[in-house]
Amino acid sequence: MFWIGKDVEVFSAQKEFIDTAIVPLTVIDGSPIGMKQSASAAEFLMSLTAFVEQQFKGRVMIMPPFSYTNSMVKKDYIQAIDEELKLAGFKYIFYMTSDHSWTSAAPELSVLWLPSIPLGDMDQSVKQSVLSDQIRQVVPMLSSKWSEL
Amino acid sequence: MSNNRVTRRQFLNYTLTGVGGFMAAGMLMPMVRFAVDPVLQKKEGGDFVLTKQKVSELTKTPVKVDFTFEQVDAWYKSDVTSTAWVYKEGDKVIALSPVCKHLGCTVNWEGDPAHKNQFFCPCHGGRYEKNGENIKGTPPLGPLDEFEVKEKDGLLMIGKTRPNTLV
Ligand code: FES
Repeated sequence: MFWIGKDVEVFSAQKEFIDTAIVPLTVIDGSPIGMKQSASAAEFLMSLTAFVEQQFKGRVMIMPPFSYTNSMVKKDYIQAIDEELKLAGFKYIFYMTSDHSWTSAAPELSVLWLPSIPLGDMDQSVKQSVLSDQIRQVVPMLSSKWSEL
Repeated sequence: MSNNRVTRRQFLNYTLTGVGGFMAAGMLMPMVRFAVDPVLQKKEGGDFVLTKQKVSELTKTPVKVDFTFEQVDAWYKSDVTSTAWVYKEGDKVIALSPVCKHLGCTVNWEGDPAHKNQFFCPCHGGRYEKNGENIKGTPPLGPLDEFEVKEKDGLLMIGKTRPNTLV
């Protein structure tokens, strides 16, 4: 599911099945050297989360990405988002990012860190196989949390 | 002479109807196009997507066949790759949609080692027989959809989904 009106309606009716929220975390870097890298990391993450949605539509809700700059105290925002999503009724909340700083910034949250791969120039079928490979890394992380009680 | 003269009133009438008609056409044309477009597209044979799968290589065992088309998904527009589970039943090619009839996850052939010869949904353990029939007692309430299929130069083409005709 995506965080759009129609899907949220389904979520409200099927909370026992749609129990997982995934929040993409993307850094916005406006510096001449960081800009391209931050943009292609965001592109990668958006493609990957859309693919996760396709595979796990009936169980996960992909949230709009949380974007921040390196000067922000991003951790505080995430805690607020985490609480809000718990309130909404999600049992599992995952954060997906290509920004390595999260792994140490928020150890108590389920952060799935994946190094970004520039998809920009790839042809669709290559892109697809790259994303399938990446998803193979994500699935075990999701299912290990899902099988915990 | 005076018979042919266009009065001020007539002139305004003509021009205003002209402009009004133009505006109406401006509004109606896109509507008509929206309504007619799917029909037009069909004529071009564009409803079927060519895959790389050779029909001669298909067997009784379902294999995953990818095909790509453009789709707009929420705020994200992209070329989307979809899949079908394709196998042969005698000479007939059968392509099933991988979209679980419970809440829409993607099912896998023999995705659960404990259940051979079945499709498995990783989300809530939904299961289906090879022909797409949902197994009672698992969450899905209907059979997997079927794709229309065609063959072109030995390659498989995949069309629209339709309700399962095998169950
Ligand atoms: S979405 Fe497949 S079993 Fe629930």
